Amino acid sequence: MTHLISARDLRASYSGKVALDGVSFDIEEGASFALLGPNGAGKTTLINILCTLHRPDSGSVSVAGHDALRYPRRARRNIGVVFQTSSLDDRLTARENLEFHGLVHGLPGRRRETRIRQVLELVGLEEWEDDVVRTFSGGMRRRLEIARALMHEPKILFLDEPTVGLDAQTRQQIWQYLDRLRREWSLTVLTTTHYIEEVEDADVVCIIDHGKIIAQGSPERLKGEYGRRWLQVDTIDAATLEDVQARFPEAQVIGVRSIVVPAESADPEMFRKGTFEGKIMEVRHREPTLESVFLSLTGRELRDRADPGKVANGRGERR
Amino acid sequence: MSEFAVLLRGVYGVWLREIMRATRDRGQLIGGVSRPLIWLLILGVGLNPYFRGEVYGQVNYVIPYTYLQFLFPAVIVLNIMYTSIQFAVSVIWDREFGFLREVLVSPMPRSMILLGKVLGGATVATLHGCLVLLLARFADVTMGVDQIAMAIGLMFMLSFGLTSFGILLAARVRSFEGFGVFSNTLILPLYFTSSSVFPLDPSLSRTQAVTSYPEWLVFLVRANPITYAVDALRGVLINFHQFPPTAGLAVIAGMCVLFFVAALWDFNRS
Repeated sequence: MTHLISARDLRASYSGKVALDGVSFDIEEGASFALLGPNGAGKTTLINILCTLHRPDSGSVSVAGHDALRYPRRARRNIGVVFQTSSLDDRLTARENLEFHGLVHGLPGRRRETRIRQVLELVGLEEWEDDVVRTFSGGMRRRLEIARALMHEPKILFLDEPTVGLDAQTRQQIWQYLDRLRREWSLTVLTTTHYIEEVEDADVVCIIDHGKIIAQGSPERLKGEYGRRWLQVDTIDAATLEDVQARFPEAQVIGVRSIVVPAESADPEMFRKGTFEGKIMEVRHREPTLESVFLSLTGRELRDRADPGKVANGRGERR
Repeated sequence: MSEFAVLLRGVYGVWLREIMRATRDRGQLIGGVSRPLIWLLILGVGLNPYFRGEVYGQVNYVIPYTYLQFLFPAVIVLNIMYTSIQFAVSVIWDREFGFLREVLVSPMPRSMILLGKVLGGATVATLHGCLVLLLARFADVTMGVDQIAMAIGLMFMLSFGLTSFGILLAARVRSFEGFGVFSNTLILPLYFTSSSVFPLDPSLSRTQAVTSYPEWLVFLVRANPITYAVDALRGVLINFHQFPPTAGLAVIAGMCVLFFVAALWDFNRS
């Protein structure tokens, strides 16, 4: 059994709307697997199916060797889940939340105690163990949720958008914890994200859009295979942008005055002379990045990037 | 480690969380204390002198109890009703704020999750019923240990049934606001038509009862399951029955089974 998770031909729909359209993949033990896709691509539905909260219309899932659709309870023993939105009881203290998790997972008293110590230490929340969760910041809550998901020593950790709504510093901290976990506990980690720069370190990236997997492989492989080299052209006005677009049918508009053109069909010199002379602010090469992979595959940019300004006013700061 | 111990631990965990939340919910506790005080000390004491079975000087009923004694078991039931039905708010809360998912991805079977939850809610409701028992002295109700034990047993069963009913309601309500309406259009009507504040005299035949009370009211009182719960509790606490002693127990046990099974069916389906 080398595959810790195998999903075959998963299909799911909500009130007639297709959420997953034949998704298959395998995750190897110890791997870090990243599901990348825009909002509404079907990532959360997929996670919900994998952690047995939602039944697919058809297809099969095996988790740690157990048929997750037939024996959901056996599958659940092997998974830890961090949901996109908090699932902590914010009227209880950090310790009480962990204690509860230990109890419903059937851990005996002494084991609960040692695990609570270990996971609190791992995420650096020992000092706050007796504080009510309501007083926690968004980052602290997320750390506590990660700690809780690890209480029962699962083989696989699912994290649905673990860094959404957090500031840049906290996001980085969360990824550090996850990295440490993988190294020290040889945990298999499945994360979903729509922040492209967060999947660069993953072993396998799986790009999902409109309920379908459109590519999967290591970041390097994806870049080599799908990453076209593009020229990014920044124009001085919108009219020029339209001119560029008219001239290059394959061009993609990525901003108000930014457009990318396939590098093989254009030469930077073209924009410095002739019709476009003086109307272009800047022309530069874009090395294949996952961003460009996504662009090539879907014909659009993954807009929601993890720039700090945008997410700083996120959720989870309620006090 | 046996499977049974694991399940028991899980049920205990769910139960414990409900107890901890209840002890931290000041509002609920204040309600649990102030409600019986208002009902017994104000309504009970106020109406006590008028409750002698006399209508225009002619003694129609012979009721060997004061109004306070008569009202006392009903106030216990009222406190249990409020706490049990309000428990549904905690269920809606878990669902809306995502905590439910944390339990659903655990290896606990759903029936055990529900059992833990209902037991937790029932324990809290029984404790709120016991708060009323503390006022027994003021209501002039004297109880032996065996009476107290039997009363608490009945109270717990009633709490279990009503908490299951509350969960059943919660599954049909999408918002907290909707629930407020539910509780007021449900708890008070059920309470008032449970023969809680006035007796249907046991010595009267049904035709005679109808001459004292309008027929629709007699019908409502007899159709209301809470009537039999109040009656059973009265039987234990002040030795006054309007219906056969076993009727109350049977109705309460029936409510427990029916509502729990229905709630479980709901929960497994969602």
